[in-house]
Amino acid sequence: MYQLNDEQITFISNDIRARGVEMESLQDDLLDHICCIIENRLEATGDFHQFYANVIQSFYKKELREIETETILLLQNKNYYTMKKVMINSGILSAIIMSVGIFFKFQHLPGAGVLIFTGILLFSFLFLPLLFVLRLKEKQHKNDKILLGLGSLSAILISIGTLFKIMHWPGANVLGISSVVVLVLFYLPVNLVAGIRNPDIKMNTIVTSILIISGCGLFLSLARSPQGSELQYIKNTKYYLRNDMLVKNELALVSTIAKGGNVPAISEAGRDVMECSTLLKTFILEKETGEKELNENFVAKHAWLGESYSENFFGESSPATKQLDNLRTVVKRYNVFCAGHRSEGLNCIPDETVIDANGNERVTDALNNLAQLQLLVLQNERILQVSHRLSLRN
Amino acid sequence: MNYSSELIKGTLKTIILKLLSDNNKMYGYEMTQKVRELTADKIQITEGALYPTLHSMENEGLITVESEFIGKRVRKYYSLSVAGKSKKAEKISELADFINTMKVLLDLRLQ
Repeated sequence: MYQLNDEQITFISNDIRARGVEMESLQDDLLDHICCIIENRLEATGDFHQFYANVIQSFYKKELREIETETILLLQNKNYYTMKKVMINSGILSAIIMSVGIFFKFQHLPGAGVLIFTGILLFSFLFLPLLFVLRLKEKQHKNDKILLGLGSLSAILISIGTLFKIMHWPGANVLGISSVVVLVLFYLPVNLVAGIRNPDIKMNTIVTSILIISGCGLFLSLARSPQGSELQYIKNTKYYLRNDMLVKNELALVSTIAKGGNVPAISEAGRDVMECSTLLKTFILEKETGEKELNENFVAKHAWLGESYSENFFGESSPATKQLDNLRTVVKRYNVFCAGHRSEGLNCIPDETVIDANGNERVTDALNNLAQLQLLVLQNERILQVSHRLSLRN
Repeated sequence: MNYSSELIKGTLKTIILKLLSDNNKMYGYEMTQKVRELTADKIQITEGALYPTLHSMENEGLITVESEFIGKRVRKYYSLSVAGKSKKAEKISELADFINTMKVLLDLRLQ
């Protein structure tokens, strides 16, 4: 029985590394194995170097590194199957979750948003990337790999774009358009150049190109052009300006009537509602357009009402949230006041005219609702004044 | 007679599971020697097949590894994990069933 010394062990260890085995755990396995063979089979007086040379040769066919190559291959195969399993399961799960979410949405059941959100997340960030990685391993040619990458990128962009759209996050349209750009400007030419010269796939290439162009065409026909958006924003703004004008007229009317008779211009409860709602209107207007007040020059300044959602302006720390709470309180108080004067014909303010900070309300709607709220208050005040004057006359 | 490496490759995992189940913990060289001894040298597991399979089984969670220093070198003892224990029964019954099927299949061919 041979006894190995430290120097010899270091020699074997270095030789294993020099032969290209890089995995430390595999180095340990091989070193111990070789040492065991030498210690068990070499006679105490035997030639270490000669014996070692024979042993190491029996470990491989061409070179020692093939053991590591085989190990890595087995480890990757394991990952490959795990990835495949995760891909299929995440795909099935996202399809089910999204379908259930859409069913809930159409049935107006709670939880639809969370389900659709989770479904799209799974689809965009697990299923599609895994599909890309696994398919990439199967593709041999560079062109096919590029096409796969571009196709996956486009699919992920459109999927995330949809997610942004339903979450009312900014940038949804940019993502959607980028997806079309990737498809038409990059995928399509690469696919055409690669496929059109190959008689076997020429027909398929032409059909795919037609499908891509038609699909993108349909998508873009649904999207609004930038000029179309501008026209819509101008329309929104004019609509609000008309409502604002109505409020101003009504305010002038109330003041004029008040001057004519010996009556207060506006009740205390009414004044609170007017002040709070004006503050909120100014806040939203400034956030959306950068201007505290709008006039006819808004088009030149591009200070128009776009399609943001008012919920974006109401965070927990936003001063607007406090103002909104104030408004709700004073409206409640005002409605009590109205209930007390029902006999004189006052109408309470409906809840929906006060902004819903968590709902899907666009800025234009929020501002118009506030204007209507003010109109209701002012008209009530007018009713009150007229009835007051009538009672004085009697 | 030595069996071909193709035949051994397909059954190596089952052999390792059975060895570790009977011997608690073993290191690589010990496994090769034990198999030679049990099969009267008919089955000789090569290092090139053994270690990749051991690493893959470790990655799958079928076996666990403990390292022990012996002078300047590290000896790695492999033992069955809980998952490995249940896998052992499954793999052995699968192989037994396969052997029976092969018997039928090959007898039929020989007739």
